[in-house]
Amino acid sequence: MRAVVKGRIGIFHLQGFLDGNNAPSFLTLDDIKATEALNIDMLLVSLKKVIFFNKNGLDVFVKLLTSIRNSKHITVGFCDYDHKKFQAINIFYKNEIDFSLFKSEKIAELFVSSNKSDPKTLLLYNEDPSQRSAMAIELFDYGHNPIIAQSFAEFETKKKTPDLYYAIVEDTQLGYFGQKIATRVTGNAIIYTVSNFLDAEIGNTFNIAYHTNSLNVGFRLFIFDAYKVVSMNIHALNFFTKLASSAAEYNAAICFVGFSFEKTPETFKNDLEDAGIMFFNTMDDILKNKELLQELGGGGGATVKQNRVLNKGLINELSHFIDATVSTLNMMTNAQATKNSVNIQSLTIANPADQFASSIGFYGDIDGLIILIFPKTIAKKACELLIGEGNVTDEEILDSLAEFVNIIGGRAKVLLSENKRRLDITLPRTYSDMNTLMEIAQNKKGVQVDLSFEGQNFIFFLTR
Amino acid sequence: MITPEDVAFYIKNIPPAPSVVRQALNFVREGDLIKAAKCAQEDLPLRLYLKTLVNRPIYGFKNEVSDIGQIFGILGVAATQQVLYNYLLSLLTPKKWELFTLTNHQFYDLQASLSKQWENILIHLNIKDKEVYSAISLIPATIIVCNALFASKKREVEQLRSVKALDYNTILKRLSGYDLFDLAAEIGQMWDMSDKTIALIRSASGTVSDLVGEQKVLAQWIHLLLFYVFSQSTYVSAGLNEFIDFQIDFVDDIYDSFSRVVQQ
Repeated sequence: MRAVVKGRIGIFHLQGFLDGNNAPSFLTLDDIKATEALNIDMLLVSLKKVIFFNKNGLDVFVKLLTSIRNSKHITVGFCDYDHKKFQAINIFYKNEIDFSLFKSEKIAELFVSSNKSDPKTLLLYNEDPSQRSAMAIELFDYGHNPIIAQSFAEFETKKKTPDLYYAIVEDTQLGYFGQKIATRVTGNAIIYTVSNFLDAEIGNTFNIAYHTNSLNVGFRLFIFDAYKVVSMNIHALNFFTKLASSAAEYNAAICFVGFSFEKTPETFKNDLEDAGIMFFNTMDDILKNKELLQELGGGGGATVKQNRVLNKGLINELSHFIDATVSTLNMMTNAQATKNSVNIQSLTIANPADQFASSIGFYGDIDGLIILIFPKTIAKKACELLIGEGNVTDEEILDSLAEFVNIIGGRAKVLLSENKRRLDITLPRTYSDMNTLMEIAQNKKGVQVDLSFEGQNFIFFLTR
Repeated sequence: MITPEDVAFYIKNIPPAPSVVRQALNFVREGDLIKAAKCAQEDLPLRLYLKTLVNRPIYGFKNEVSDIGQIFGILGVAATQQVLYNYLLSLLTPKKWELFTLTNHQFYDLQASLSKQWENILIHLNIKDKEVYSAISLIPATIIVCNALFASKKREVEQLRSVKALDYNTILKRLSGYDLFDLAAEIGQMWDMSDKTIALIRSASGTVSDLVGEQKVLAQWIHLLLFYVFSQSTYVSAGLNEFIDFQIDFVDDIYDSFSRVVQQ
């Protein structure tokens, strides 16, 4: 069995009965190797469709999860269970639970980085005050707004108005904190929350793959929320100066907010400034100053001065990317997409209204960005296999579009590997508003392929 | 990936039941096991199949049973009809399983295991209808159909499943309008199974809405039985645990009774 990867979370979806006899059969050696190779921040086992489990069955997965957490410093645990199953796990492991438990996948998603920028209001309760605080801090660091019930009675009262909350976080607990530095997205800026004393460990806890992904999909402003940082040593200093140099390649800006240098040598600040890192006292100094935000890149891609140009390597592989797109669409819809025109130009969207878009970056032997722009109706049709027919919300379509470009990225990776080209793909990003997309893409030259599908046009755009 | 035309082509090519088996089934339906046995005796592969099946450990006979008349006598009318359908299904098994890591030997064990557990369940439910008894025989047809339709699409399905937990049954339904249980029912129709049996096969997916009464209860028990068997190590390794979607809410209210029956 392979884990299904959504965003930064990998999930094993088990079904039926789970005990010590059958549990090892769910995981072959290849499955374990494939899981270890995943680029994720969280690995979970879903118990939603498990009707019976015992401790021996869970132990097989706990062993795998623990080994992966120890080697990759990611969050591991179980998700998708009811209160009865939650209690059973607690009884099995008593006070020795060192993995995390998330009542649902939706709740687990709140504890990882994503490309979404909408903060959620959450009702939170755990009878253990230290768990309550730990969860609240994490949720806050990921940009959410947790409302903590201090007692069970208060929780029960607040729970009566569920419409006020995106989710109610209960029967959830955090295990050993193996997770990466909390990350959240605000507009076109990415905010990392760092705390305590920064040392060589930052190299393990900072998710460099996510950061590279973000650069590749067009983010240009990275802010370190450093209010809770006491100080840093030379190893952390080296880490940040290297990060600043790599960001410069993309013309991206790195800022620190709220970092007091009371206990840190002043020369460190000079070194960081020389590397291009900027310092601000409060978050509002950046986020509420539109002019500054534009200048730093957080207002979009319009201020990016050095656009990376298309190169021969990318053009040579164009057919593979188009093939991956067309064959994915065929696979998902049983209908044929046809190519109308191919031009090297800036991205041009004839009718920006009622369009959805998604993008995925890739890097390795070649690097670039694929953008797909669909009329809403075609986007829904393209994703019907993933979401089913019937009424679906725009958010569900956008989520499925992200999965759709992920499949395209995966297929392109396979096609290119046949030519011995190694490729990694980034997290997909989706857009419900073409203005946001154009902020990132308008100054970029790329290959625009106009395609038609069931009488409507959609755009494939490949750029760097 | 799989078009409605592919499915129509598959249905069109479902082989009819061989005349000897058809005749034997007719005698069984009339309750004449002696004539049915004489008929079955003439078909060498059927004889061999019956001998091998009935002597599997799950049937629990101490000494080898080899006489067809004796086999039918021991099984009784309902189980004989079921076993003949099992034989018909075995004729559809592929020479080599490409989608699942399965051997024909394991597939026959699966048939035997489902049949035996189903018998226990029907005793518990106090149902003696031989058409209901036979319904379980056609359920493994879903595995055969799935293998036939998806064997050449394995890589595409893997790519889909890397981003979304989709089972083969859902993929087929969304692409063609048919699910695997519909196709198993088509096979049942081709083999003249009763309407009641065919309706029961269709409802075993656990996704048919508006089921009521006995049909709902039986569909729940078949669905849970499937996942009980598919959770055994051999079938988990074969990939059968993931090929259809387990509707856990559909079977929730029978779980306790089910545990008692299968633990007997």
